[in-house]
Amino acid sequence: MEIFGLCVIGILTAVMALLLRRQSPQTAMLLSIGAGTLIILSVVKNLVLTTQSISTLLQESGISADYIVILFKVLGICFLTEFTCDTVTEAGMLSLATNISFAGKVTVLITALPLFRDLLTSITTMVQPS
Amino acid sequence: MNVDMIFKIAAIGIIVAILNQLLVRSGREEQALLTTIAGLVVALMMIISQISDLFTTVKSTFGL
Repeated sequence: MEIFGLCVIGILTAVMALLLRRQSPQTAMLLSIGAGTLIILSVVKNLVLTTQSISTLLQESGISADYIVILFKVLGICFLTEFTCDTVTEAGMLSLATNISFAGKVTVLITALPLFRDLLTSITTMVQPS
Repeated sequence: MNVDMIFKIAAIGIIVAILNQLLVRSGREEQALLTTIAGLVVALMMIISQISDLFTTVKSTFGL
C-alpha cells in the first residue's frame, strides 16, 4: 500500500532535516517543503476520482450543481492555504502565516457569498407573509 | 513517486555544509557565503517545479 511508503518518506525526511538543521537550516526547510509537496501530490492525484464520485452522489441527492462547484472550490482554497500557512510557520514567520490565513478566509468568504445570498433569499421568502 | 529528489536535496545540504565549514576554517568567508547561496538556489530550482506541479494538480482537481 502507498501509505506505508508515504510514512517512510516522512520519517526519513524528519531525520535528514534534523541532521541538516544545525549546519544549513535553509536546506533543511527546503527538504521539508519538498517532502510535504511529494506526499500531498501523491494523495491529491488519487483524489481526482473521489471528487468526481462525490459530486455524482451529491447531484443524485438533489443538490444543485452550482453549490457542489462552490463546495469543491472552497475545499481547494482551504487545502492550498493550509499547506502554505504551515510551511511559512515552519520557516518561523508567524505574522506572514497569519496574513496568508486571513487572505484564505477572505477568499473563502467571497467564493461562498452566492450560497449565503441564496440562503437568505429562501429564508425571507419563508418568513414574509404572502 | 519522485523520492530521489529528497535524497538529492539532502546530499546538496550535506555537501554545502561541509564546504561551508572548510571555507570558513581557511578564512574565506565570502566564498563560503557564495557556496551556501549556490546550493540553496540549486535546491530551490528542484523544489519549484514540484510545487508548481502540486498547485496545478490542486487547481485542476478542485476546479479553482
